[in-house]
Amino acid sequence: MDQRILNRTKRVDRWARWGITGGGLLIILAVVGILVLIVQVALPLFFPARGEEITQRGLPSGVVPQDVLAVGVGPYLEGGYLVTRGGEILFFPLNGPGAAAPSVSDERVRLAPPTPQAKTVVAVETRLVHIHTLLWQDGSISVERVGFQPQYAEGGQRVIGHSLERLAVVPALGDPLRLASARTVEEGTTRLAATAGNRLHFWRKAQQTNFLGMTQTALFKAYLTPVLPSPVTALTLTGDGHGGYAGLADGSVLYFDLSDSDNPRLAEWVHAPPGGGAITALNLVLGDISLAVADSTGGLTTWFSVADASGARHLQKIHTLSVDDPPVGHIAPSRAGKTLAVLDKDGQVRLHHPTSERHLLTLDASRPMTLLGLSDRENGLLALDDQGAMRLFRIHNPHPEVSFSTLFGKVWYENYPAPAYVWQSSSASDDFEPKLSLIPLIFGTLKGTFYALLFATPLAVLGAAYAGQLMNRRLQRFVKPTVEIMSAMPSVVIGFLAALWLAPLLEHHLTAPFWFLVFLPVVLVGTMISWDKFGRGTVLEATLRGMEFLLCVPAVLLAAALAVGLDHLLTQWVFGGNFRQWLFQNFGTNADQRNSVVIAFALGFTVIPTIFTLAEDAISSVPRSYTAASLALGASRWQTVWRVILPSASPGIFAGVMVGFGRAVGETMIVLMATGNTPIMDVSVFNGMRTLSANIAVEIPEAPVDGTLYRVLFLSAVLLFSTTFIINSVAEVVRHRLRKKYGRF
Amino acid sequence: MADSNPPRHAGRQEMMVWAAGSALTVILLCTLTLVMVVMANGLGHFWPSPVEQLELTGGERVMGEVTDRNMSPDGGERIQVKTANRDLYGLDFRWISQAQVTRQTRPERVVLLERKTHGNFIGTFHGFEENGNRQHTQEPMAVERLNEEISKARQGLAALDPLREDMMVLTRETERLTRRAAKLRYQGAERNQAELIRLAQEEALTRTRFDQLNHQFAEGMTRLEQRHAILADAMGREVLLPLTQVVRVVTPNDLSWFGRVGVYASRWWELLSANPRESNTEGGLFPAMFGTVMMVFLMSLVSLPLGVVAAVYLSEYARQGMLVRLVRVAVYNLAGVPSIVYGVFGLGFFVYGVGGVMDQVFFPERLPTPTFGTGGILWASLTLALLTVPVVIVSTEEGFASIPKGVREGSISLGATRFQTLTRVLLPAATPGIITGFVLAMARAAGEVAPLMITGVVKMAPSLPLDGTFPFVHLDRKFMHLGFHIFDVGFQSPNVEAAKPMVFVTTLLLLGMVLLLSLTAIVLRNRMRRRYGSSTF
Repeated sequence: MDQRILNRTKRVDRWARWGITGGGLLIILAVVGILVLIVQVALPLFFPARGEEITQRGLPSGVVPQDVLAVGVGPYLEGGYLVTRGGEILFFPLNGPGAAAPSVSDERVRLAPPTPQAKTVVAVETRLVHIHTLLWQDGSISVERVGFQPQYAEGGQRVIGHSLERLAVVPALGDPLRLASARTVEEGTTRLAATAGNRLHFWRKAQQTNFLGMTQTALFKAYLTPVLPSPVTALTLTGDGHGGYAGLADGSVLYFDLSDSDNPRLAEWVHAPPGGGAITALNLVLGDISLAVADSTGGLTTWFSVADASGARHLQKIHTLSVDDPPVGHIAPSRAGKTLAVLDKDGQVRLHHPTSERHLLTLDASRPMTLLGLSDRENGLLALDDQGAMRLFRIHNPHPEVSFSTLFGKVWYENYPAPAYVWQSSSASDDFEPKLSLIPLIFGTLKGTFYALLFATPLAVLGAAYAGQLMNRRLQRFVKPTVEIMSAMPSVVIGFLAALWLAPLLEHHLTAPFWFLVFLPVVLVGTMISWDKFGRGTVLEATLRGMEFLLCVPAVLLAAALAVGLDHLLTQWVFGGNFRQWLFQNFGTNADQRNSVVIAFALGFTVIPTIFTLAEDAISSVPRSYTAASLALGASRWQTVWRVILPSASPGIFAGVMVGFGRAVGETMIVLMATGNTPIMDVSVFNGMRTLSANIAVEIPEAPVDGTLYRVLFLSAVLLFSTTFIINSVAEVVRHRLRKKYGRF
Repeated sequence: MADSNPPRHAGRQEMMVWAAGSALTVILLCTLTLVMVVMANGLGHFWPSPVEQLELTGGERVMGEVTDRNMSPDGGERIQVKTANRDLYGLDFRWISQAQVTRQTRPERVVLLERKTHGNFIGTFHGFEENGNRQHTQEPMAVERLNEEISKARQGLAALDPLREDMMVLTRETERLTRRAAKLRYQGAERNQAELIRLAQEEALTRTRFDQLNHQFAEGMTRLEQRHAILADAMGREVLLPLTQVVRVVTPNDLSWFGRVGVYASRWWELLSANPRESNTEGGLFPAMFGTVMMVFLMSLVSLPLGVVAAVYLSEYARQGMLVRLVRVAVYNLAGVPSIVYGVFGLGFFVYGVGGVMDQVFFPERLPTPTFGTGGILWASLTLALLTVPVVIVSTEEGFASIPKGVREGSISLGATRFQTLTRVLLPAATPGIITGFVLAMARAAGEVAPLMITGVVKMAPSLPLDGTFPFVHLDRKFMHLGFHIFDVGFQSPNVEAAKPMVFVTTLLLLGMVLLLSLTAIVLRNRMRRRYGSSTF
């Protein structure tokens, strides 16, 4: 033979071998890489927050550290400001590495004193990052808001402009003040203050519309308390000024209901537990529902009002963020989420999240800090250290609200009476607390799967036993293709029929499936008896052996017709007319139209072919000799099936049920269409559910890429993947053993 | 003791056999019922049913097709009537208590008009109106004149078609120019000054031309729309309907059997060839069918070669050991991983990952509007290809496994190389297995909806992913799909009751498609098994 051709053939063969091997391995790697990628997206949920110092600068000239009362930083981390004792606000650039020309200019703004007597500022209280309440030495108050806006100067250069706006001025009270907080909303300004005489004073200037439709300004003033037993150490107001909180040196917390201007009152006085330290700082978490409380023993907790059994609301400790860290002197809530930045007495800056109770971060700094200001988007933090250096930190804190315990444990959410498993991922407002518990979804998934298997397993296993062992050989040929067709039905078709055809039908005949279970045995016995009487011994018997199920068709149809036809009559008789009412009165559950019965039928329908095929495979792999031996020993057909064949095939049947479980767990369209998708946890057959898979389909199109919800949904995909993969692998191993045992393969 | 009483014992034994039999019966009946329900509802929808006129006790008259009849919750029989005329009554359906009906007739000369908007109209035809000139009679007229006029109006519309085509071309041209300008501007506005000015002039010209055509078109349309048919509903309320709005005229009570067949066929033809109307609840399904077929086709282009190569590697080239067995189990089990997980992967990897990178590299001038960084037919097809690769692998391996060992040995011993053995002997012998896998994969892909919902399917795509504009195949476009159509129309449309028949028709088409593919696969596989006389799976 020609050597050249031979060589070429060999070369081609070699190339093909490398090509196919490489390609095959690559494809297998790629397919396995799916899991890697999904996990990789989900994993950052559990990464800790990061913070690193990006720049440092000294105080502007002429300012000494003792004079600085507050610091702040803009949303782009390019410029900051500080508020001084002298009543000045100084803006300055902060140029991190890589910043080109300074985009923020140095500027010094002298604030106009609110009263002629006001000379210096004694205290500053900060509300959500950039609104500062300045308490002047004479007891007058001004509220200033700082803003940053990016602008484009001529030539396309981007500069950050800043603005300063005075929101309100409150005149001095005769009594000198020690602490004060003020809020301004459209309807007016509210001020809460602690006097030097240790009383709390309320002041409000409100726009009121009288009965003629004219707007008037009304002034309200009142002392809210007598002289308090212990000095007021911290106070704060809600954003609308309708609620006020004060903390005392003995550790008690006072809540004032200020919604009624004419009647502001002390609503609650939570006495400190014995041994508790003084309250050192109070502030409201974004949303104004939770109150963060720090005390001198190092405790940092959040509180909110919870209704008790009688409906009365009481302030209650909900989350404990730290127990024995150094005591916190200042709490700065974020404006972008529920995260709290705190500064403790050792000068350390820490980040905590109330819902997840996570200690997110302790900033790594060489010097103790004395003041801090968060940026608007929680992406940075400016702090002043004890030597007068201002340090800018970049904060990377994308998923503070997620922890293992919020995903899988009970969490006490704001406005909830008790800790609960809740899935509620989004809402219209920014200060919403995302509730991302996967438990209701896992519960829904398992509930749907359980009912589906309850419906499908007996049918599929008995059906497979009949088809595999008892049935006429010629008829067998038609069963398998039918079951294969059943398995090929698109799930969207089954889901549609379940939701828009079966569900309304079942709504009218809610109890019919149960009557069917009652009637079927009766009718079957009836058919059998009449078959015994009229069919036995005739020509029919010989021809019909192995085809009994043909006689079952009319029996099943008759039972179904009886169940539907007599449904109303029987319901009348057993449940007194209205089953829904009976159900509600006896069990307190409502029957939804999209309920688990529908799901059991629809999901069961998709699971039956899976279980049937694997069970039938196992049953027909039992050697014929077993059957022959059993029958030869005098066992009846059913005894052979029940005592010999099913036990021998049981691992295969078990594997089938497991694969069916995997199929039902991951089914999406049917549950999406027919469950109602409410994430409730109720075992009742007459309620719907929301499953992991449907949840992904519903929420992922709207989830912002790389946001918390997006990653949590990827995490649920990981759960689905690993569950089904493990279950299928175990089932495969079981089947493999069975095959080996009976000598196939 | 049961054993001491043989007859009863035997009876109980027999009983269990019967129970097992009835379990099988229930399974088969369920399948049958499902197919029958879809067939009955889907096939029956287009058959023209008679229009009944009901006279009610208050003197009110109602005309419509009787669609349902049942016991109302407060006792008494009630009938559901599809009265149509949504523009007049607000709803398409109405429940009427049987007790209220005094007389029920099937009047002659009732017309059912299928309109482009507001659904059907049921009533009588009384003449024409144009610019205030009326030719009409009190009595219902026969529809021959109406049909004539409608076909005239249709010809008028057809005459405007070239204009419409020209406008489309101009729109595309404008779009192209805008894109080109954006690209040039991105590359540096100063460098491309001259070109940009030229483009701007060209664009202005195109726009002027477009405006002229648009004006002509609008004039033509107004002229055509001036001619109205005068119609009246059951109570004699008059309605003026522009003739251009009419899709089809049916006289349900005057039709012969052949007439009915004609209407039925023409409705089916519309379904298969036309675009949807009325937020998908009426009209055709062509774009959805086209999208489904094209997606399956693209999927097969990827899935088939990948699956076959992987299967060839696993069964012919890899050294059979523990590792390969593990890999095989893993690959097989991927077929059991929920489809939504593949969808999530497709979204994260293809759409946001690969698509995002492609946008940054090839279309930076269009950002932040994504081109490939959003769902599209390419990503949907690739996602489904991944989903179906295990199906192809399993089936192809089955094909290889069913070839007796002697065939391989024979080939090798005759001096053939491995590759020659593969291409000349094994692949031809395994072809039925490969084709079975291929067809099964297509059936699976055609019926799968969940992963598509997050990788590129939409309820209404403005244009097909394949058309006459360069580059002809638009893989970045979103597409419509029969399965998603079912979900969308059945669950998200404003008028679910009116849309339900349409969903049944869609279901029928999808089910037909999937079952046809599956049956092909089943037949092929049986043939293959018979050929080698062994069943391995």
